[in-house]
Amino acid sequence: MSDNTFQEIDISRYQRWLNRAVGAEAAFMVFDKAGIPLWGKDIPQAIKLGLAIAAAGTDAAGPHRHDLDANKTALYQTLGITNDGQLGWLAVMVDHFGEQDAPVHIDQLTETMDDLAAGISDEYRYKHDLEMMTEELGERYEELHLVYAVDQHFQGQTEQNDKVFQSLLESAAEHLNVDVVAFVKPPKDICLYATSLSKEIANLDLVLVEMRGDLFRFIQSSGETVILNAVDDPRRAYIFTDMSYKVLACPIRSEGKVDSMIVLLNHAHKPDFTNGDRKLAEVLATQLSNLSTTYLLLQSMGEFNQQLAMSLIEAVEAKDPYTRGHSERVHFLSMEIGRAMGLPADELDDLYWGSLLHDVGKIGIPDAVLCKPSRLTPDEYTFIKVHPERSYEILRHIKHLEKAVLGARHHQEMYDGTGYPHGLKGERIPLHGRIIAVSDTYDSITSSRAYRAGRSHETAMKEIERVSGTQLDPGIVEVFMKLAAAEPEWLQRFNIRREKA
Amino acid sequence: MKRILIVDDEPHITRVLKLYLERAGYAVDTAQNGQMALAEILKNEPDALMTDIQMPLMTGRQLCLALEEQLPQRTFPIFVMTSMTDREHREWTQKINNLEFLEKPLSMRAMTRALDKHFGSAKTDGGASHV
Repeated sequence: MSDNTFQEIDISRYQRWLNRAVGAEAAFMVFDKAGIPLWGKDIPQAIKLGLAIAAAGTDAAGPHRHDLDANKTALYQTLGITNDGQLGWLAVMVDHFGEQDAPVHIDQLTETMDDLAAGISDEYRYKHDLEMMTEELGERYEELHLVYAVDQHFQGQTEQNDKVFQSLLESAAEHLNVDVVAFVKPPKDICLYATSLSKEIANLDLVLVEMRGDLFRFIQSSGETVILNAVDDPRRAYIFTDMSYKVLACPIRSEGKVDSMIVLLNHAHKPDFTNGDRKLAEVLATQLSNLSTTYLLLQSMGEFNQQLAMSLIEAVEAKDPYTRGHSERVHFLSMEIGRAMGLPADELDDLYWGSLLHDVGKIGIPDAVLCKPSRLTPDEYTFIKVHPERSYEILRHIKHLEKAVLGARHHQEMYDGTGYPHGLKGERIPLHGRIIAVSDTYDSITSSRAYRAGRSHETAMKEIERVSGTQLDPGIVEVFMKLAAAEPEWLQRFNIRREKA
Repeated sequence: MKRILIVDDEPHITRVLKLYLERAGYAVDTAQNGQMALAEILKNEPDALMTDIQMPLMTGRQLCLALEEQLPQRTFPIFVMTSMTDREHREWTQKINNLEFLEKPLSMRAMTRALDKHFGSAKTDGGASHV
C-alpha cells in the first residue's frame, strides 16, 4: 500500500462508523502489508500486533484471532489482495474476548469489520487507480506536447530537409532537456545533432564518431531502445570505451530494418533517463522516421523527373549531333539569369524545367530539315517554326510543368513582335520565354553547327547587344551582360572560344 | 514550500498538474474558475498562479485583468495555459507584466522547468525530479 494514496483516505470516518456499530470507542487499527500501523498507532500493543500479523503471513481473508495477553485479544482481517499481495490489515482490539461479560458482540463486530475492510480497500483502489491514470495522462500530455511541437515545425516548412531536421533536433534537445540529441544514419553517412549543454562536452566530435560505429551496431543488433545510466553498466563494454555519459538510444526502422537511430546523451550529473524519456524518444524517432521516408521519396521522385527529362532531351539531341548539350547549356545560362534577377523559388523551378525542355518540340522536325547544312527553303523553315508549339503540345500533359511550358512555348518570340509562334510583343511575351531567348541566342552563336564552327564569346555578346530591344528584351540583356562581364565560370565549362585581346 | 494556485475548470487537467507539481516539491491549491481564484488570491496570495483561459463565470483573461486592477503591486508570476495553435490571440497579455505562456497540451517538464527557473534557488526542495 503506498503511503501517498493511503494518506488521502480519511480513516477517522471509518473509525466513527465502527464506534457507532459497536456502541463504544473501538480500538481500531489499520496496518500496511508489512504490519506497520497506519491508524491507531497509539493503541497499546499496536506495534506488537502489527509485527505478529505480518509474521503470521496468512493468505486467508479472516477474521483471524490473536491473543496479546490474558485480557486482550485482537481480531484482524485483510483489506484485500492485489497483484502485489496483501493490501494491508484491519484490526480491532477486544477486552476479555469470549467471556460472558465481553462488551462487544463478536458476530456484529466481525460483520462490521468486513464492511469497513471493503470500504477502505475500495476507496484505496479508486484513489490509486485515479493517481495512476493521472500520471499516465501527464505522460500523454508530454507526448502530445512533443508531437504538436514537431507538427508546428513542419507547418510552412518548404526549406530543405536538413534544416527541418536541424530545427527539430534543437527543439527536442531543449524540450527533453538533454545535453545532446543526435539523428544518426551511418549507411548514408548522416549525423545531425543539436545540443542543450548543461556542461561543456570537450570531445563531442569523438563521441559522435563512436555513436556512428559501435553504438549504432549495438542498437541495430538489439533492435530496441537501450538506456545506459550506470557508469558500470556491463553493456558499455560493447559501446563506449571510456565515456561516462548517460545514453538513451532508440532505433529507427525503415522497411523493417534498423537504418538509423536517435541518441540522447546526458552528463553524469543529470538525472537518469526514465521510461518517460524512452517513450518521448520513441515518439521523436517515429516522427523523424516519417520525415526521412518522405524526404527519400521526394528525392527519388525528383531523380525520376530528372531522368525522364534527360531521356526526352536525349531523344531530341540524338537527331542532330551538333545540338548536343544545347538544352543543358541554355538551361544553365537561363538559371544564371533567373537567379541574378532574383526570381522566387517557385518561378526558378518553372524556369528550370522550361529552359531544359524548351527544344523538345524539335522531335517533330524531319531530320533532313533539322540537319540540313545549307539554307532552308520557306517550306522547310515552316517546320522549324512550329517546334515551340510542338514543345508546348508535348509538355502540356504534364501538370507539374503547366507554368514551365510557357517559357518553352515562347522562347522564339521576338521583343518587337516579329517572332513565332504567336508574334507576341514586349512584356506580353512570358518572362521565361524572354530569358530563354537570350541564352538560346548566346548558345546558337557560340556552339558549332553542321555548317559552321562556334564563334567567340565576344562575337555573341556583340550580336546580343545589337539585337537588344528588337529581338531580345533589353532589361534581360542588361542582366546577362553584367553576368558575362564578370568572366563567368561557364566560359570554361562550355569551352567557349575567346577572341585574343 | 512554494504554493502554486492552479485555475482550470477541467478536473483532469488540475489533477495532472497537481500530481506533477507536488512531486516536483510544490504545494498546490486549485480553483475551478476565475471567480473562485480571485477570492482565494485576495485572501491569500500564492507564489505563482497558473490559469486556463476558457472557464465559466470568470475567464482567465478576466481574472488577469481583475488582478491588474485590484493588485497593481502583484509580485507573483502568472502562467497562462493556452493552446499552441492559438498564438494570435495573445495581444491582451502584452500590458500585463510578469506573465508567461505555457502551451497546451501541457508538458510537465516544461512546466516544472518554467517554475524552477522562476524560483531559482529559492525553492526548498532539491532538484526537480521529473517522472
